[in-house]
Amino acid sequence: MNRQDLFELAARNMRNARLRNALTTMGIAVGVASLVAMLSLGIGLQGFANHQLMKSGMFQTVFVTSRQDVRNMDENSDAKPEESPALNDDARTKIAALPGVEEVAPEVRATAEVQYGDKTNFTLLAGLPQSAREEDSVEKVKGRFFSGPKANEVLLQRDFAKKLEKDPASVLGKTLTVRFAERQNGDTSGSFSIERQEKQFVIVGLLDEEPFGGMRMISRARVFLPTQTAESMNLMQPADTQQLVRSTSGARTYSMLTVRMKSAAYAEIVEDAVKKMNFSAYSYLDATRSMRRFFAVLDMFLGIFGSLALAVASLAIVNTLVMAVLERRREIGIMKALGASDIDVKKLFFAEAATMGLIGGALGVALGWIIGRAINFGSNLYLHKIMKMPTENLWTVPLWLVAGAIGFAVLVSVLAGIYPAARAAKLDPVQALRYE
Amino acid sequence: MNEETAAAIESQGASRYYTMGDTTVHAVENVSFSIRRGDFAALLGPSGSGKSTLLNLLAGLDRLSTGRIVVDGRDLSTMDSEALARYRRLTVGMIFQSFNLIPTMTLADNIELPLRFAETPRAERHDRVLELLTNVGLAHRAKHRPTELSGGEQQRAAIARALANRPSVLLADEPTGNLDSRNGQEVMALLQDLNERVGVTILMVTHDPSLAAHYARQSLHMADGKLVTEVEAER
Repeated sequence: MNRQDLFELAARNMRNARLRNALTTMGIAVGVASLVAMLSLGIGLQGFANHQLMKSGMFQTVFVTSRQDVRNMDENSDAKPEESPALNDDARTKIAALPGVEEVAPEVRATAEVQYGDKTNFTLLAGLPQSAREEDSVEKVKGRFFSGPKANEVLLQRDFAKKLEKDPASVLGKTLTVRFAERQNGDTSGSFSIERQEKQFVIVGLLDEEPFGGMRMISRARVFLPTQTAESMNLMQPADTQQLVRSTSGARTYSMLTVRMKSAAYAEIVEDAVKKMNFSAYSYLDATRSMRRFFAVLDMFLGIFGSLALAVASLAIVNTLVMAVLERRREIGIMKALGASDIDVKKLFFAEAATMGLIGGALGVALGWIIGRAINFGSNLYLHKIMKMPTENLWTVPLWLVAGAIGFAVLVSVLAGIYPAARAAKLDPVQALRYE
Repeated sequence: MNEETAAAIESQGASRYYTMGDTTVHAVENVSFSIRRGDFAALLGPSGSGKSTLLNLLAGLDRLSTGRIVVDGRDLSTMDSEALARYRRLTVGMIFQSFNLIPTMTLADNIELPLRFAETPRAERHDRVLELLTNVGLAHRAKHRPTELSGGEQQRAAIARALANRPSVLLADEPTGNLDSRNGQEVMALLQDLNERVGVTILMVTHDPSLAAHYARQSLHMADGKLVTEVEAER
């Protein structure tokens, strides 16, 4: 029998036991719906978390430190600190030449006294590279970003600006005096002297939070200036003391280089390349690795719970088809007498099972989607009305899930059909046709 | 035409045993006979004589315990289940006392069923079904379900279905057993017409000797699973 005939006969048989087949199909639909609902929640949450992280631009950034550094973040490395090269200008040039690297900026971070009008504050200063312009937090800057990489301009953290003026926006365009410690190389290698300096800046913008600030915790800066400007100022930095003790050449080294990629796709390549150069490299990709593992486990559990209902539904399929075999004994006998082979009979029951799976799967996906929409709507209402937070899409039903769920439903149904189909095929036509 | 193919049905020492608990039932025991191509034969005997079992063996629905049956040159004893299904599909047609039309299908769908199994192209099927229904005078009933028809009409539809794939042998199990005499005569007339006009070989199981005497050219009598006499009618 060819496939079209098979499905025509299967459809006819199913119409003849409409209620029973409809109920079984609904059972599958509910099973698939629960699976789709569970998995799309998992996928949605994962997407939401990823999106939040991606928006921050963190994935485009790799932080490089020397393994000599006490702040070595690559704890798994067994390389001996002494063997690690110095993170100097030479290393900086090499890293900048790696594929996909947009900018390599040293971390410049120093304490300084900031005078605004008659108010004086002792606070943390940080260099902000040009590439930070694309950061989420910088995009929302009030005012504008630096006019150039060497501009004598600063951005202030909003809360800090509040300390200076009641209306933080009114600091824009005003002048700020920074008193800082300048490092000047000494007469002999391995020594330097420190001198008090003063420099004036124009405040051009306000930031809500520090870019790439997630890692910083307590050392969050309040005043930001272009990295190149900061470098030219030769600010005395906390790590300089350590360097002085360690270094034999007296050449300038960096405590940390922030490597900014053209896109997140390069992050892993660059990170690996930097590690090969025997530096410590760290990116948020590392942090999300465990997050991704968490979501994989979450998805698996959600999938298992979602599948339970489908497993129950598959028992209903077995039941329905076994009933059908009993009920259609004579019909099966007639079909065999007319020349249907055992395989034809078997295929017919598989076709019926697959049809239930297909229809149930499609209905289930639709149902799951509706449930998802409803939960999404409900949770957004909660976020928006009660938490006063922006609405988020916690629910994603990707196309592969739709296809996968329907395919899975068909597969489960066909598996459930194995026993009834074998039973129907084994039926002895002589017995089945015996006159009642 | 050689000896082997000259006979439509050739049975040599055909036997069918059943084991029921400790006892072995000899439903058909050492039956040998031969039916010529284009013949109309009757298989007579009281109930329990084994004639239905023999018919099932000939139809390829049941399997021989020992012996050999050759139908239209095909040796049933050597066939696997797939080959037997093909044999039932193409070589023999069966009609039953209880008609055995599928009640949930229309007449046209019932008759199309063997054509589906034979994978007859869709385009040919419609015409073939109509032709078969016309031949048994039921073209106007194509869309009706079997339960809407009289017994005679149902049996005629069953005959049309049995002939769908143009078998060379038609096996009939008490075809008039559930019919009144008028409908019975109609069905018998149809079978006789098919035998004479189309040349299909017919073997009919019946317990009615007068029916056999009137229509069959050859009669086989069975009792207790054995063939008792083989009578060739003079017509």
